[in-house]
Amino acid sequence: MKFKLMKQLLFLSSLLFSSILLAQTVTGTVTDSNGPLPGVTIIEKGTTKGVTTDFDGNYSIDVGADAVLVFSFIGYASQEMSVNGQNVINIQLAEDASELDEVVVIGYGTTTVKDATGSVASVTSEDFNKGLISSPEQLIQGKTAGVQITASSGEPGAGISLRIRGTGSVRGDNSPLFVVDGVPVSNESVSASGADVGVGTSGSKNPLNFLNPNDIESMSILKDASATAIYGSRGANGVVVITTKSGKSGGSKGQFNFSSNLTTSSPQNTYDLLNSQEFIERGGADLGGSTDWQDYIFRAAFSSDSNLSYAMNYGSGNVRATFGYTNQEGVIENTELERITGRLNLNQRLFNDKLKIGFQGTISGINDQAPFVSRTSGSTGDLLAAAYYSNPTLNADPDFNTAPDRNPANLLAYYDDNTNTTRFLGNLSLDYALTNEFSAKLSLGLDNSTSSRAQVTGPQILSLGNGAENNGRAALSNLDANSKLLELTFNYKKEFENSKLDALVGYSYQDFNRKGENILGQGFNSTSLSEIANILEDAYNSTNGLASNYQAYGVGVFQDTGLDEFRILSLTPSLNQTTATLPIIPIDALAVDTFDNTDELQSFFGRVNYTIADKYLFTATLRADGSSKFGPENQYGYFPSAAFAWKLSEEEFVGDTFSTLKLRLNWGITGNQDGLGYGNFAERTRWLNSDPAISTALDITPNSELTEPASSTVAFENPDLKWEQTTQYGFGIDFGLDNNRFKGNIDFYRKETSDILLNLQPLQGATFPFTFKNVDAVIVNQGIELGLEYDIIRSDDFTWNANFNIAYNKNELTDFNEAPINAGNLYGQGLTGATTQVLVGGKSLFTYRLREVDENLNVADNATILDKSGLPDITTGFSTSASYKNWDASLFFSGQFGHYVYNNTDNALFASPQIGSRNNRKSVVDNGVTLSSTNPSTFFLEKGDFVRLQSASVSYNLPLKADGVLKNLRFSLSGQNLFLITGYNGLDPEVSTSNIPTNGLPSASIDYLSYPRPRTFTLGINATF
Amino acid sequence: MLHFRKNQNNIMMKKITKYICLALLTPVFFSCTDLEIEGTDSIINTEGFIGVADIQGEVSNLSNTIAGGNLGNQDGLYALNEVSTDEYVVATRGTDWGDNGRWLAIHRHTWDAELQDVVLAWQRLNSVIINATRILDEKSTNTSGGDVTELKAQASFYRAWAVHWVLDMWRQVPFRDPNLPNSAIPEVFTGQAAIDFIVADLNDAIAGLPSVSVGDAIDLKSSPTKASARHLLAKVHLNKHVYLGTTADAADMQVVIDAVDAIAAEGYSLAVSGDFFDIFSPSNDEETIWWSPAGVGPRIWPTLHYNLNHPDNTGGGWNGFATLSEFYQLFEGDPDTNYVGDGQEERRGWVPDATTANSDNLGIGYGFLIGQQYEEDGTPLNARDNVGGVPLVFTKEVTKAEYTAPADNAVLETDGTRMFKYHPNDTGGPNRTHVVKYRYADAYLMKAEAMFRMGSDPLTMINDLRAIRGASALATVTESDLLAERGREMYAEGLRRQDLIRFGQYTRAWNLKEAGNPDLQIFPIPLADALGNPNLVQNPGY
Repeated sequence: MKFKLMKQLLFLSSLLFSSILLAQTVTGTVTDSNGPLPGVTIIEKGTTKGVTTDFDGNYSIDVGADAVLVFSFIGYASQEMSVNGQNVINIQLAEDASELDEVVVIGYGTTTVKDATGSVASVTSEDFNKGLISSPEQLIQGKTAGVQITASSGEPGAGISLRIRGTGSVRGDNSPLFVVDGVPVSNESVSASGADVGVGTSGSKNPLNFLNPNDIESMSILKDASATAIYGSRGANGVVVITTKSGKSGGSKGQFNFSSNLTTSSPQNTYDLLNSQEFIERGGADLGGSTDWQDYIFRAAFSSDSNLSYAMNYGSGNVRATFGYTNQEGVIENTELERITGRLNLNQRLFNDKLKIGFQGTISGINDQAPFVSRTSGSTGDLLAAAYYSNPTLNADPDFNTAPDRNPANLLAYYDDNTNTTRFLGNLSLDYALTNEFSAKLSLGLDNSTSSRAQVTGPQILSLGNGAENNGRAALSNLDANSKLLELTFNYKKEFENSKLDALVGYSYQDFNRKGENILGQGFNSTSLSEIANILEDAYNSTNGLASNYQAYGVGVFQDTGLDEFRILSLTPSLNQTTATLPIIPIDALAVDTFDNTDELQSFFGRVNYTIADKYLFTATLRADGSSKFGPENQYGYFPSAAFAWKLSEEEFVGDTFSTLKLRLNWGITGNQDGLGYGNFAERTRWLNSDPAISTALDITPNSELTEPASSTVAFENPDLKWEQTTQYGFGIDFGLDNNRFKGNIDFYRKETSDILLNLQPLQGATFPFTFKNVDAVIVNQGIELGLEYDIIRSDDFTWNANFNIAYNKNELTDFNEAPINAGNLYGQGLTGATTQVLVGGKSLFTYRLREVDENLNVADNATILDKSGLPDITTGFSTSASYKNWDASLFFSGQFGHYVYNNTDNALFASPQIGSRNNRKSVVDNGVTLSSTNPSTFFLEKGDFVRLQSASVSYNLPLKADGVLKNLRFSLSGQNLFLITGYNGLDPEVSTSNIPTNGLPSASIDYLSYPRPRTFTLGINATF
Repeated sequence: MLHFRKNQNNIMMKKITKYICLALLTPVFFSCTDLEIEGTDSIINTEGFIGVADIQGEVSNLSNTIAGGNLGNQDGLYALNEVSTDEYVVATRGTDWGDNGRWLAIHRHTWDAELQDVVLAWQRLNSVIINATRILDEKSTNTSGGDVTELKAQASFYRAWAVHWVLDMWRQVPFRDPNLPNSAIPEVFTGQAAIDFIVADLNDAIAGLPSVSVGDAIDLKSSPTKASARHLLAKVHLNKHVYLGTTADAADMQVVIDAVDAIAAEGYSLAVSGDFFDIFSPSNDEETIWWSPAGVGPRIWPTLHYNLNHPDNTGGGWNGFATLSEFYQLFEGDPDTNYVGDGQEERRGWVPDATTANSDNLGIGYGFLIGQQYEEDGTPLNARDNVGGVPLVFTKEVTKAEYTAPADNAVLETDGTRMFKYHPNDTGGPNRTHVVKYRYADAYLMKAEAMFRMGSDPLTMINDLRAIRGASALATVTESDLLAERGREMYAEGLRRQDLIRFGQYTRAWNLKEAGNPDLQIFPIPLADALGNPNLVQNPGY
């Protein structure tokens, strides 16, 4: 506000001091608060004549004396200036002067909030969440209505489930498409998933971990089909467009920024387990020791995050380079995420600004250490389960055998799991203005990652049951994911007398290659975990050159022959197995399997924006997507959309009450092919293990023998596979009152997903237990979103604003005529094979199907389909921030309501007041409640409603001398996950298990041994110089 | 000067632009793709069925499928044929073995079409059928090794084995023609048509499979042989009248006798006295006709207690499966203990005590474990601390099915006699992969039963067997004696359900199970198929 006034004063004074009238050449300097501003576009209004400012912000333009100049620059408010005979016009542009002029990055272009026809929300860096942020999604959690963001656990770098406007697919992946600086990024994990060395499946890592959150300028969330249809087949779950920071605002002299954060984290909540004395008092077996096992595996963790960036705007271009280092410890021992990122963003204008070259590239290295934590551990459990159930009168001795249970100290000491991932994501674009109206743009993108994971169980490990004991078992998994993008777009912009046309056509090609090796070894003559990993790697390196052209090979005693062999399994020229001279390797058995497959996507698209009288806005898009995931008959899908917006506030009959009033109507069809896997339409034959749960050709038995190799089809092919389609209708109103001091938006939508791609049990006989099929049913998501913002106080010294959003979504599966499909598997002792959720017509996805419990705690024999589901109906966020002089403070709450959480942990570990060799919760034991059955039942189903104080922060800007070296110095203190209001009996109701599919279906809201979500405190410093 | 340079710049610029445009457009045209996937890590075929890529690899897949997962471990096929009978009950122990009530549902015959054991056994058996059918198709000619005729004969045997189980358990066998698209609805064989299908496969198998006689290496018997095909031929004919809902036909019984005689002609015979438990070790013996490379762990750990010795398994036993006292009492000998000298025959096995426990038996008994159990050094074992460390004494009776109160823990921990045949300290240890599928005693008893059903008296045969096993001679052989003898000989080998049905005993009441109706002799068709394949009719009662 203050700046705006100053700027207006400057503008007035410049008018006053300009004395020469009717001149034909206008010169001047454009500045912003930091000094000269290069690269500002100055256009004579109503013409296509224009220039840009040079390195020193100077410009010169020949115009008529009555011309009006338009000064514009992305990220700054445009200003119009009448020449009125002046020949010097100096002007200062203000950043984001009006939020309604805020640029919103949409697919293949930008628009402004004011001109957007679709439902697009943009969150810029100023509004990002603060504290310990390890991945970009966390920056916008709770910021936007209709966007549900749930971290699957408190593990650093854990996967995040992000749902825009409900859950539209019945597969594992409902994530939106992420587009980073124009490059659509595959949602598939780039960290090697790894073989099962006895841990069970762990949740996949977040594929966006490679981005340094500090490099992000803005994130646009495209919610409705009119906005996402330009991404066609990948738009059905919404699109998040991430734009990284450029050097534009770096000033002509260059600017360094350094920030550093120190964070301490500890578990927000732990179980009320019995201590050794309480345990003995209640009849537990006294083994003479005393250990608080939660304390043993949890820790106060320290994390640091440092970033150094340099930005400079030198007129014909700008540059920004950053270097970031993060080291994040998890609250469980042996958990660490280390990330080094480097980024270079370059923009250069050439040939009288006709050619714009842009480069955005980032390279990151992530080292990630994980403990023995799994989401699918069985009766003996993982590290967390073992810590929760272990007898507190044990001593923490890693070598003590607690069979049949597992010993947490043993699991911590003799399991090691390290993943190294290096990823490069780069984008080179050339944008050439062929004429003033017509431009062409070529973008080349490369996304390349190399990941290697080593999982080692030492021979000292106990109670794994797979042969790891006494032998040692280790797996190396390598994954190279490589995606290339080529896009060519042509843009035509023309202003007519009373209307504007902006048209775009384009072609896009992207391929996705994934290749790698899964290497498994058993029988190591070493007890050192790092040595075991090296031995396995050496064994692989010394053998992989001895064979060529193989899918898999094994060295060791083969089960079928009982002979020590080197067997090579090939696919070409025909499927065959051969034996070769046995190499000497230092392990008993080595099994290697490889994969290498490529999918392609080819698209043609177009968009027309037409604006009449700056009141009526029309948008139409069409994209044709061809995908190699479908057979020749169904390769191409066509995804149209249309939208209309009416700026009512521009109409005279509305009057001045509303500073903004806009109606939006939209419709569109988008598609989805995520989670479909590779080549499911075709018959594919590979060397394969007979156990469908093991994807490698060879396995190693507990006797350290290699299994008999076999070949078979790896899918029950369905040549008729086609696109899953989502039709979306939306209606929205944007409004602003009192010069937009109070503003908001309300949106109504209905999404119908049809031809649902489901992984079903095929009709027997089938060569494979599952097959993808388009099921004739409709998933309906409909809802309302409301966002409100109010500047409560706007004064020079004191500002205070509040922001509230809330969304209601109703989900229902209709017209489903298949057999109900059980899903939502439980894990843990006594729960093998138990399911809790069901896919059934007429109900929400993730509807619970459980035995009901009566008031006498009798558990029914059979399960009933309930009217309760794991999906929240309401998601909401509230944030408020205030600044007083040099102080800023903010609070942010988020909440979810209406869903039910199945407490799998309680069911598996604390089901009944058992006490003896296993520990229990004090509240459970002393409650004395005994169920008639410990089978899964509604007893363990609880409301998941919660409100969380997600973050609170205070910061202080040190007053500095204007001419000092330091331009800005800021200190901040923030806390995350400070408190949780919930009736839920477990540690935290915010859980996500969507990546643990059962019967081909994901589950939701099942709480089993979640990695505890930490409470963190962060001290930060940020300096600009 | 300045102007000149500008012009030059312009010319250069135009040139550069031209080249850039060309460079840009080239990849565009080259990258216009037909979107075809390439077989970079698999053999890809989009032409419809052209035969399997490798007959040998696919036959190995059949063998692995039969040995693995729900056809090889304690779940699925084994659970449905053992836990549903008087041989085993799996009570919950604390929360362990609760497993959504599935073990008790199987024992109590309260399953439904969604029981995972029913669904998974159905899927895996049917996958063997279709995969074998693809191998047997005339289009399948490629092999990376082995003799195509013999490999196809193996596929015929495996298909017959799988069809026989589907017929036995569901009475309806879906059959998919691999030459039709996968969207085609499979036809369904029942009754005589299904039996004819099996018999035709077995005749092909017998013609194409090698003759492996008793003295040949044990390794040769993990693949199908003429003897294993004849064994299955006998089995199918012995049970045929059950599948057809008729009475035993003399001609069928003669097929049984002829098939068993042909097996005997290859030298197979009853193991000599004292060798009964050696049959289940990986060395060669007189009886083993066909064994599967399935892990023996699922035949050992489900029944052994956590605190019994557990070599190569640091987690210990799983303390689940226990037998019923009435089954245990089919044997002669002391009804309450099973130590050496308790008057038991060889097949009941024995429990080591303080004097007989040693490093060879590890304190773990053979056959039936009842009474106090011992460590290998002769120390009496205790149960776990959570039940106060009471002595580990397996009871004769299983008294409780389910944990309902804290006091139940101690009872459930030691309830019931444990029963198994695969000793963990045999050659190869508990991780060996050698599960006996067909053995001569079964064939021998099938012949005796066939004779009985034809009206002959099998007394001599039965008493000869009993004499070898160290049991006293019977005076007469009744129908129930035959069933009991099969129980004593073949317990824990996955045959009890079939035997009980054939002798009309499957639906009666026994411990922790009420009497049921005949519909329960057949399992429900899993829902996905019952709804999706109009050629299948859900079995009565479901």
